[in-house]
Amino acid sequence: MTDTKAPELQLQAVAQSTYECLRCAFCYDLSWLGSTNLCPSYTWGSFESYGGRGRVALARALLEGELEYDESLIPRIFACTECRACAEHCFKYIDTVKVYDRMRQDMAVRGLIPPELKIAVDQLVASHNLYGKPHEKRLSWLKDRSRVDQPAPVAFFVGCTPSYVRRSLAEDFYSVLDSSDLDFTVLSDEWCCGHPFLAAGQTERAAEVMSHNVEALQDLGVEQLIFECPGCMRTFREDIPAVLGEPLPFEVLHITEAIAEFVEEGRLQFSIYQPGTVVTYHDPCTLGRGLGIYDAPRAIIAAMPGMRLQEMPRHGRDAYCCGAGSFVRYDYASLTDQTGVERFWEAAATGAQLLLTSCPACVTQFQNVRAALDSPLQVMDLISLVKQVARWK
Amino acid sequence: MERLQEICGPEHVTNVYADRICYRRDCGPTPGGIPDIVVRPQSTAEITQIFRLANEVRKPVFLWGRATTFVDHGVQEGCILLALDLMNRILKIDLENQVVTTEAGAIWHAVDSELNKLGWEIAVPGGGGMFSCTIGGTVAYNAVPHGITEYGVTGRHVVALEAVLPDGTVVRTGSAANRDAPLPIERGANGPDLAGLFIGACGTLGAITEVTLRINRIPETERFLFYAFDTVDQCVDAAAAVQRQNGATFLIGLFGGPPPANVSGKAFLHMIIRDGQTRAAERVRTCQSVCESYFGRPQDPEGTKRYWLGHMYSWLRNTPPNAYYGSRPYYCPEVAGFLPTLALKQAIPALHEYVRTNAEFARAGMRVKGMDVYFSPNAAFLWVDTLYPEMSPEAKQVGLRVRAEIAELLFGRWMSPGGIVSGIAPYIMPRLGSAYDLMKTLKRALDPNNILNPGVLLLGKDQE
Ligand SMILES: Cc1cc2nc3c(=O)[nH]c(=O)nc-3n(C[C@H](O)[C@H](O)[C@H](O)COP(=O)(O)OP(=O)(O)OC[C@H]3O[C@@H](n4cnc5c(N)ncnc54)[C@H](O)[C@@H]3O)c2cc1C
Ligand code: SF4
Ligand code: SF4
Repeated sequence: MTDTKAPELQLQAVAQSTYECLRCAFCYDLSWLGSTNLCPSYTWGSFESYGGRGRVALARALLEGELEYDESLIPRIFACTECRACAEHCFKYIDTVKVYDRMRQDMAVRGLIPPELKIAVDQLVASHNLYGKPHEKRLSWLKDRSRVDQPAPVAFFVGCTPSYVRRSLAEDFYSVLDSSDLDFTVLSDEWCCGHPFLAAGQTERAAEVMSHNVEALQDLGVEQLIFECPGCMRTFREDIPAVLGEPLPFEVLHITEAIAEFVEEGRLQFSIYQPGTVVTYHDPCTLGRGLGIYDAPRAIIAAMPGMRLQEMPRHGRDAYCCGAGSFVRYDYASLTDQTGVERFWEAAATGAQLLLTSCPACVTQFQNVRAALDSPLQVMDLISLVKQVARWK
Repeated sequence: MERLQEICGPEHVTNVYADRICYRRDCGPTPGGIPDIVVRPQSTAEITQIFRLANEVRKPVFLWGRATTFVDHGVQEGCILLALDLMNRILKIDLENQVVTTEAGAIWHAVDSELNKLGWEIAVPGGGGMFSCTIGGTVAYNAVPHGITEYGVTGRHVVALEAVLPDGTVVRTGSAANRDAPLPIERGANGPDLAGLFIGACGTLGAITEVTLRINRIPETERFLFYAFDTVDQCVDAAAAVQRQNGATFLIGLFGGPPPANVSGKAFLHMIIRDGQTRAAERVRTCQSVCESYFGRPQDPEGTKRYWLGHMYSWLRNTPPNAYYGSRPYYCPEVAGFLPTLALKQAIPALHEYVRTNAEFARAGMRVKGMDVYFSPNAAFLWVDTLYPEMSPEAKQVGLRVRAEIAELLFGRWMSPGGIVSGIAPYIMPRLGSAYDLMKTLKRALDPNNILNPGVLLLGKDQE
């Protein structure tokens, strides 16, 4: 039996938001684009309990004692990629994802976490990475160790996915930064940013790793932290101050913002990749809706000679999720697959030869989908492309 | 449960409490009953089978488009609830005959957007809920659309329907009824207006499964006007004159609630004019001279334009949506309906007086969000939106009393509502006399077991 009398509801902190909901269902469709889906979870789960309005209704029912946390709520709360499309389009400007996060915290305290996610975050405690790989191998992709743990004004936060499963991405980002004149460092004792703990509702565990990373960076005198992974960046920018209760002691920047700045200053130009290449760009949910970064990647693409950007119908604020968000693959692989395929076909329908994005999770997801579909549409991280065509001044 | 799963597939049927509890409430103040089972049918044939089963086991059925009505739609405890938004295909865009046919669960604005890509639009834009409401629910409710001044109510643009009667019979209406030439081109063909039976019936007489609507080319131009008036009477007179001269495509009046930012006055008119360039210019001049002859003062129409383009009410008050809608845990026990345009001269002061003298109203923290009018071609559709703080149960009771009292005040003298669902039915149905009797007779004939949307219009045996 589940202990439903356990601790006070974290949900109380966002009770007002649940009462603000008008029940207008504007969080279900992108109807201004035609007949198209907004919410991957509702599309997959089939009932309103898997979409914005329904989840907010569940929250309210929990607050009013009409519903109690139990196993049936596990998929209804956790099979959500936290893509923020519902929050972005909410008629009442409710941060719906904050409501879901509080429910996740309540569920975690009651031991109601999806089983595979639980295993992953449990092993994260010891290995400091989501893949359960040895911590000492975190920088094994890096040959030249001269910058590691050196005091510097700038640091590159690599993140778990590039460190362990997409090492070529880590190399590409490092190489691009290395070619610039930035004085930057990389931590040998970088831990996972803590986002998976938050996704599993485990705030205390998240606080521990957050403190570790912040202190390690502070020790090197870091003033600016650059990210490739939007999830890590949002964790630093939004969650660390909220969880640790104090402002971040350094600035955060996404690598696309840094590159766009180099381009604007004229320090970076590009050679032709392949004449007449048509590309399309997938806005990673966390980079776009989560951090508001839509323009920098497009400015970089626009500066590439001979390249034409063909937008997907759902782009910018309206972009559809790739399906990989919030670690749903661990327990709800079909949600990830279904969403990834839908998005990949949308990209292919633009006629592009290259699908670009700016997030290691999205790249991984689209490369998997591409392999499964055996599609000619190439998938690449924007920074890997930058590496190939960069001409520094 | 098993039989429903056989009909619709297990993935489209649920009896999990956490799923069911999400299907009890529209945008109105009071949650309805919790359904026993929620089903997402995918075809007319599935709905037919479900209705037959419901009759067999005597189980009520409730139709759920997107549940965006405002006044408590009345889900019955223990019913089978059919959520229709999987039936969302656009079946045919027929530019030659100027009609579009869709499944009932298609989202209104999604269909419009698909047409826009071709330079066309549905002959009427939908109401403020257009971004999420279904075509079927909107027709069943006969919603009051944006652009009503020129286009009239939603139902006017229905050419043909396919509907499943409560006993499972499938009917097609108008010209589409002819089995040998089932062409959805004319509502008035083939005898009585059977489509009219389902429009505004809110699902009590049958489930609409397909809708054919008229479509138009997108007009060449759109022009915007905004006027402030120092008295209600001047504003109403101006509105009546604009109606008489077919000046505006859409004429909106503001008579209560927060005034538009940075504009002084007691009442306000927004005007949207859609037409060819020359005709639009003429209509603009007509509206201007009418408003000015009633001492209206022209204002910057930027808010009018933003309202029309984004369909966000906040712009009627020159306020961006985030400032207007954000952080407002308030609910709205709306009362709305049609009354003669000139009757606004009495109704608006009476409403202000009611609010001013009702001590409970202020004590409960209630406020007036709007007393706004969408002018139809010849009348006024007034919606009185009061708000009560949603988190206070006492305020909610006051809010519901206010709804009853405003309904009494308006329905007793001037007003008849458009769409009726269960939250408003008690205040209007008993006033309808033999028309109400006829509706009950029709309901008995079509739905002897009272399985379909019982209670919504108070037509069943238990309401007699
Ligand atoms: C922000 C906002 C603004 C709005 N502005 C307006 C406005 O300007 N004017 C206006 O009139 N309304 C407005 N509404 C109310 C609402 O959007 C409309 O009435 C809408 O058309 C209802 O559509 P729906 O799909 O949600 O239907 P529902 O609410 O699901 O259904 C309405 C009724 O019809 C029945 N029904 C549903 N589908 C079918 C079907 N296929 N066959 C038969 N019966 C069915 C239901 O049982 C119910 O009784 C607004 C709502 C919102 C949220
Ligand atoms: S965050 Fe994304 S997946 Fe989750 S409910 Fe909102 S739109 Fe759906
Ligand atoms: S868009 Fe916002 S207010 Fe509307 S139903 Fe969704 S969560 Fe509620």
